[in-house]
Amino acid sequence: MKQVGSNKESFSLKNRLQRGIRDLNKWTVFTVLILLFIAVPVITIFFKLFDGPGESWEHITNYLLIDYLKNSLYLSFLCTLITLFSGVFSAWIVTRFEFPLRTYLEWLLIIPLAIPGYIMAYAYAGFFDYGGIFSWLLSPLGIENLKLDMMNVVGLSFVLGISLFPYVYVSARAFFLTQALNLLEASRLLGVSETKSFFKLVFPLARPAIVAGLVLVLMEVLNDYGAAEYYGVNTFTTGIFRSWFSLEEPETAIYLSALLLSIVFVLIILEKYQRRKMQYTTPKSGKTSIDHRIKLSYPKQIVLCVLVSLPVILGFVIPVIQLVQWAVRTFNEVFNKDLLWLSLQSFGIAFVAACFTVLFALLLLYFSKWNKIYSVQSASKLGVLGYAIPGAVVAIGVMVPTLSLDKSFIEWGWASKFIINGTLIALVYAYVVRFLAVAYQPLESSSLKVNSSIPDSSKILGMGNFKTFFKIEFPLLKAGMLSAFILVFIDILKELPLTLILKPYHINTLAVNAYGYASDEMVMHASIPSLFIILTALIPVIVLNKLLLKNG
Amino acid sequence: MKRISLLLTIFTLFVGCKNETKSTSASEVQELNVYTHRHYDSDKQLFEMFEKQSGIKVNVINSKADELIQKMVLEGEQSPADVLITVDAGRLHMAKEKGLLQPVSDKKIIDSIIPSNLIDKDYNWVALTKRARVLVYAKDRVDPTSLTTYENLVLPEWEGKLLFRSSSNIYNQSLMASIVANDGEETAKKWAVGMVENQARKPKGNDRDQIKAVAAGEGDIAVVNTYYIGKMLNSNDRTELEAADRVAVFFPNQNDRGTHINVSGIGVAKHAPNIEAANQFVNFLLSEEAQEVFALSNYEYPVNSNVEKSEVLKSWGDFKEDALHLNKLGELNKKAVILFDEAGWK
Repeated sequence: MKQVGSNKESFSLKNRLQRGIRDLNKWTVFTVLILLFIAVPVITIFFKLFDGPGESWEHITNYLLIDYLKNSLYLSFLCTLITLFSGVFSAWIVTRFEFPLRTYLEWLLIIPLAIPGYIMAYAYAGFFDYGGIFSWLLSPLGIENLKLDMMNVVGLSFVLGISLFPYVYVSARAFFLTQALNLLEASRLLGVSETKSFFKLVFPLARPAIVAGLVLVLMEVLNDYGAAEYYGVNTFTTGIFRSWFSLEEPETAIYLSALLLSIVFVLIILEKYQRRKMQYTTPKSGKTSIDHRIKLSYPKQIVLCVLVSLPVILGFVIPVIQLVQWAVRTFNEVFNKDLLWLSLQSFGIAFVAACFTVLFALLLLYFSKWNKIYSVQSASKLGVLGYAIPGAVVAIGVMVPTLSLDKSFIEWGWASKFIINGTLIALVYAYVVRFLAVAYQPLESSSLKVNSSIPDSSKILGMGNFKTFFKIEFPLLKAGMLSAFILVFIDILKELPLTLILKPYHINTLAVNAYGYASDEMVMHASIPSLFIILTALIPVIVLNKLLLKNG
Repeated sequence: MKRISLLLTIFTLFVGCKNETKSTSASEVQELNVYTHRHYDSDKQLFEMFEKQSGIKVNVINSKADELIQKMVLEGEQSPADVLITVDAGRLHMAKEKGLLQPVSDKKIIDSIIPSNLIDKDYNWVALTKRARVLVYAKDRVDPTSLTTYENLVLPEWEGKLLFRSSSNIYNQSLMASIVANDGEETAKKWAVGMVENQARKPKGNDRDQIKAVAAGEGDIAVVNTYYIGKMLNSNDRTELEAADRVAVFFPNQNDRGTHINVSGIGVAKHAPNIEAANQFVNFLLSEEAQEVFALSNYEYPVNSNVEKSEVLKSWGDFKEDALHLNKLGELNKKAVILFDEAGWK
């Protein structure tokens, strides 16, 4: 909020408080309520910072922490490079140019996300292992029994990067699809080359969208456990689980998670602070979507096609080939009709939970926008932190408050047994807490594009916040909402630790089924449920992608 | 789209509610809630056998033992868990320390079936199956007569030849705990340092990967659990079969304390709502018919000595087990991890 008056006035605490009270409106109250609802588990964990770590803290700082931090930083850096490169360029080429197979590649680029990270890690290790498909491909060349070692930091960065770049792709593409083409036309008329206008104009403009995707990638990278453990790379999350599982101190694990939370929170606030200096809105007139793509000469089209296929081949085709090879071998043992029922259950749960997640993200985003107190707006960022901590820790964060509620219900005689825990309520709630960020980031970046003058004029003309939202902002947000939904859906479909701990007895998901095999080193047997996850994820991706293009 | 989503929402709510009503009306039907870290197909078979035999419905929550323990702690007195099954004694010990378990009721029956070092001193848990942590060596490069004990792996002749997985792995932690118990802390730490000095590569991958690496020549000796070799020998993957064929099993420490074994085990939850069913279940899992399923389908050693081992295990012959009481492994687990870190075993 812009402040009027002298510096002295605007910075004294008393004035700040007074302004706070003056600016307080019902949206502030709603924002705080929603935030509390979503952030209770995160806050629960956050407050553990004050409890301090357990007694093995010194041991951890002496022997482990530096190594873990170093690995995490290196991993984050490499993943940033990989995801930016594959995500942004493929999004740009797909929206800007016409080439063969473009319509298929457009949605195939989202699919790598559907392969759980640890399955991708197993698939790649298997692909390049002794006697794997890679060495079989090379055997005609006279190279026998070759192994490309994937199990190190670089390999891990590659595996995570190639499975997570769709976050960047999706949000960058949603931006490119709806972003002002006339700016680009103008730059072309002025004789600026396509490459130059990309780097000078489009890339800086797309920054919020790209950063939004990148934040998701980094949070996911930071909390990955399965892939890192298998590849023997010790990251910060390894530290969390080592203090929990091996050093038998859940309190130290939670303390480390809280530490991780604070770091991510500071990063998000910093990014937002920097972005505040810039205005990102669409121009008031002119075409906003790209309806004609540039057609280059045929050989160049082929080059583009190959370029864009590359992330699809690495992130989808190769792992799927490996999974299919394993699936054929284990078909008789693993395949049965139950898998179809499992797929249906997984689909249903993911669908409902994704709906709730997108809804809460929207509520949080707009309530905090309509509220006039800046600090509450910043605080609303707390809601997205659930994504930065490992699912198993979120599960604890969810269980602490909900169990105390459950126990009170029993005490008050309202219930005879737990009604939140052990039912779908706790599970869906946990999904919302964990994946809010995944919905929030694309929504926020697409809401930034809505020129604030339109809703502002609507409000000046006497329309309420809600009416303005449904009449003006909602239609403009559709692309962002669909992207958000796809991402959350896929994420829930493959989610594991939360589901394991909080799921009701009678519910089972494909991810749980796959994990059962993988955790017992029966990686091959996990391939069939993994392929089912991918198939189930394909349905909404294809359907929603069509909708996205229609609305674009 | 909206209609589809509405239908789906209703469908899911229906599924959710259906299950709810099922579990509430089921109060007359006896139930048993199992929290387990084991997720083998053989276990599903056992649950079904128990259901048929007793008419008690088995509900299963599958997760890592530590997460299950944390869940039980948070749930407190209202916890629905009846039994806790883990894949190592250390976790059961931890659950006991946190006051989450209670003694089994049929102590005499259990005493008659299982050796006493496989039962908690206060009968809070019992072992179900055993796995031996053995050495696997390359047949063409290692003379088995040069192998003796775990302790001798640190000899200079094995420099750059050893393969083992991360110290986060519970089986390595149990092995380390057994060495601490047998040789003392100082020696154990020196042993870990020596192992790291002799490693062929940084610890990574799982037990199967270590075996494959021995077969491929990355190292000569790997430290692995028996039942993974059993599984590889019966794998439907040609590469795994070939790899398993190139290696052989060696049981270390046969001339002194015996080869280290770790177990999977079960305990009855302190606040179990269905105590009788829980004890019935424990007895069932120790019975000969259940132990046969464990032995035949999962290449684990049955704890019930009346039950025959699987063919693969028989082919490796009998061996002397380390008779160290499993309670010790639990008590020393944390110590073992700390020593691993100090020794730089990643």
